[in-house]
Amino acid sequence: MSDHTATIESQFWRQISRTFVNWSLFRQIMSFVLFLVLWSAIVVAVDYFQQIPTPKAVFMALFETPFKVVLVNMLKSFIRVLAGFFLGILIGFPIGVAIGYSKVAKGLIFPAFEMVRPIPPIAWIPATVLFFVHIESQIIFLTFYGAFFPVVYNTMGGISEVDIRLPRAAMSFGLNKRQMLWKVILPAAMPQIFTGMKLAMGITWILVVAAEMMANKGGMGYYVWYNHTVMDYPHVVLGMGIIGLCGAICSIGIAWVGNYFTRWQRIF
Amino acid sequence: MSTSNQGSEVIFNNVGKMAIFKKNQTVILKNCSFTVEPGKLTVLIGPSGCGKTTIINLIAGYERPDIGRVKMDGQPITGPNWERLVVFQETALYPWLTCYENVMFGPLSRKVMTKEKAHEETLKLLAKVGLEDFRDKYPSQLSGGMQRRAELARALINQPKVMLMDEPFRGLDAMTRQLMQEYYLKLFEETDASHVFVTSELDEAIILADNLLIMTNKPSKIQKIIEVDLPRPREWSMVTSKRYLEIKAEALELLHEEAVKASTTSGKVDVDLSGLLEPVNTD
Amino acid sequence: MESKPDGKRQGRILIDHVEKVYDPEGVNVHACRDCNADIQPGEFAMVVGPSGCGKTTLLNAIAGFDNATGGAIYLDEEKIAAPDIVQSPGADRMVVFQGGALFPWKTVMGNITYGPVMQGKMRVNEAVKEARELMDRLGLSQEIERLYPDNLSSGMKRQVEIIRALINDPKVLLLDEPFRALDNISKGLMHEYLLSVFELTQKTIFFITHDLDEAVFLADRIFVMTTRPGTFKAVIEVDIPRPRDFRVLATERFVEIREHVKAEVEEESMKAFEAGERELA
Repeated sequence: MSDHTATIESQFWRQISRTFVNWSLFRQIMSFVLFLVLWSAIVVAVDYFQQIPTPKAVFMALFETPFKVVLVNMLKSFIRVLAGFFLGILIGFPIGVAIGYSKVAKGLIFPAFEMVRPIPPIAWIPATVLFFVHIESQIIFLTFYGAFFPVVYNTMGGISEVDIRLPRAAMSFGLNKRQMLWKVILPAAMPQIFTGMKLAMGITWILVVAAEMMANKGGMGYYVWYNHTVMDYPHVVLGMGIIGLCGAICSIGIAWVGNYFTRWQRIF
Repeated sequence: MSTSNQGSEVIFNNVGKMAIFKKNQTVILKNCSFTVEPGKLTVLIGPSGCGKTTIINLIAGYERPDIGRVKMDGQPITGPNWERLVVFQETALYPWLTCYENVMFGPLSRKVMTKEKAHEETLKLLAKVGLEDFRDKYPSQLSGGMQRRAELARALINQPKVMLMDEPFRGLDAMTRQLMQEYYLKLFEETDASHVFVTSELDEAIILADNLLIMTNKPSKIQKIIEVDLPRPREWSMVTSKRYLEIKAEALELLHEEAVKASTTSGKVDVDLSGLLEPVNTD
Repeated sequence: MESKPDGKRQGRILIDHVEKVYDPEGVNVHACRDCNADIQPGEFAMVVGPSGCGKTTLLNAIAGFDNATGGAIYLDEEKIAAPDIVQSPGADRMVVFQGGALFPWKTVMGNITYGPVMQGKMRVNEAVKEARELMDRLGLSQEIERLYPDNLSSGMKRQVEIIRALINDPKVLLLDEPFRALDNISKGLMHEYLLSVFELTQKTIFFITHDLDEAVFLADRIFVMTTRPGTFKAVIEVDIPRPRDFRVLATERFVEIREHVKAEVEEESMKAFEAGERELA
């Protein structure tokens, strides 16, 4: 059968190419390379975009800047993000648990939240002056505020969406209310609680950058804004890249912690 | 635990139960009366959405009847208790606990066993259900049949007086299902507890049952009680016996009649209400 | 009702040494190997086998969704799957899917008439007329034609799907566990319905299932597939006379055949199970 030999032959070559080339990795690298090439090409070829720094210029900017300046700004941003984030969890988590677990708490707290929540956190920037005198506290308040709602809502959602059979089985086993919360409800809600934390982490980075741009108190947002005012665009793009990197580090960190606490979910 | 667990009697006396479903009030059970005889295996069969799960919930104490009484050994049932344990549809093992931790969860939470005692009992039960090699696996790492066996062990360690099986083998493939049925039969024949078993599969129902209760459509009640007088211990080979086929023919006739009625009276034959009826209520 | 000028009935499916290899990440997985079957025109063929044995792979190859990597499948004289042809699904082979694939945004009538209208075979009013005739003949109330699928029971949805397939006047109907989501009791009604459709239309039916009661109740012949790589290891003739109704389920012959099929399937499941267990441990 000629059909048959043709099939075998084509399979043979397919097998050979798969053995020696990791095509999936190759495609990933190509995607990256293509992006940089396209970026350079657009800047070089289109007059309109010639103000945009090329990848090469950005790369060179990395060596022009005193390393310490970048590091100090990075640290400032990190501290603000983490402070806001943990404050958000510290206050948001118990509230989320309370409104997820108790109808009374939900009735008292939830409607007010629903009124405030649609206001984008960035709209709060000017108003923070009313609450805090120090600029530093204003920035941290803002990051806290960004983290707060995702944590509250996902904690609440996670708790109220627990498969009813799990607490029911626990009721039959004779657990008291406290045991029920700690031993059944919270573990079951854990995956969504961490989803909330991941979201919160993303939002705190957005807010810290916005706040720092306004504040003149250092941080990566300030770094980008300052370089913009002196029209040093390679450094603007460099700063953007660093912010992206910091955000990614934080997301990976929180995902890692989350995976640890919900490891039972992913094992096969 | 050294105390022997005597099977209990459960009596439904003219029970009525309503539920809100998609904003419409529906009567699920109406004039529903039957007795779960002590130490017997009572099987409930009927079209889905006919309130079988509601009956399980009423016996377990997760729901209360609107009308009528549900009593266990003469006492009204007021809430969930370890004496009446449910093996749920699909699995309700705690996914964040290993197989071993799941089994000892009940007695340790109630603090009725020491750690050592619970450890010992758990190992004994895991061996009994053939999971000793899988004790440190999480439920997601177990096959469907294994999950069901782990769940049986988790209930049995509490020595319940009534076991409530809510379509426990649904979703298993045919072979695993038959293995589980044979397995469960053996387990039942060894214990004294009363069992209530809900299913929509007729062969499963007949091979397991002492009493086969055939339910009507909503509003449901017991249409007919068929006493399954096949000898115990039961074996799967009985499905070709004359008596078995007689019982099956009788049951088929009744079930078919209900199914036809359901498809002609209401558009929705098979809306399964189970699990959708009540919001999580842990207060 | 399907007859060519020479009077020969159509709808023979010939599966000839079919092989299907998937190779994700360079690992060759044989879904089917050396698979042979000859399904006669107007035959009700049931395919059973352990999970993941390549039943659906075979159905996809017949339907034209996913080509075979070896061998060939013929529908009457036409080659419909083979490595050397470019496949295309056709209106002569209609599939009724596992989960159901009615368009939720279209009414029952919209769903039924969709195929022929989109293909330009019929105008809308012709299609509507044809649909009504078909619904009438196959015992589906016309009252439901304005409803959306979400308002139908699962059983009725399946009925609509079967009619949506039949309006294309296919040579074969391919069904992939269409009644899986139904409970056993309403499933029984659907089986009787499908049998009445089968007896009226005389289409060839290729039906995949896990449910052995279903297999025996419906089939002319049951094709038992082995565990992966899937191939047919046994063909069991179901000699229960037609027309059949639910009472058949409680006859000795029925239970005998079912136990026979079960033994065949179990042997294969056991192999799959042992292989799986090894992976688990």
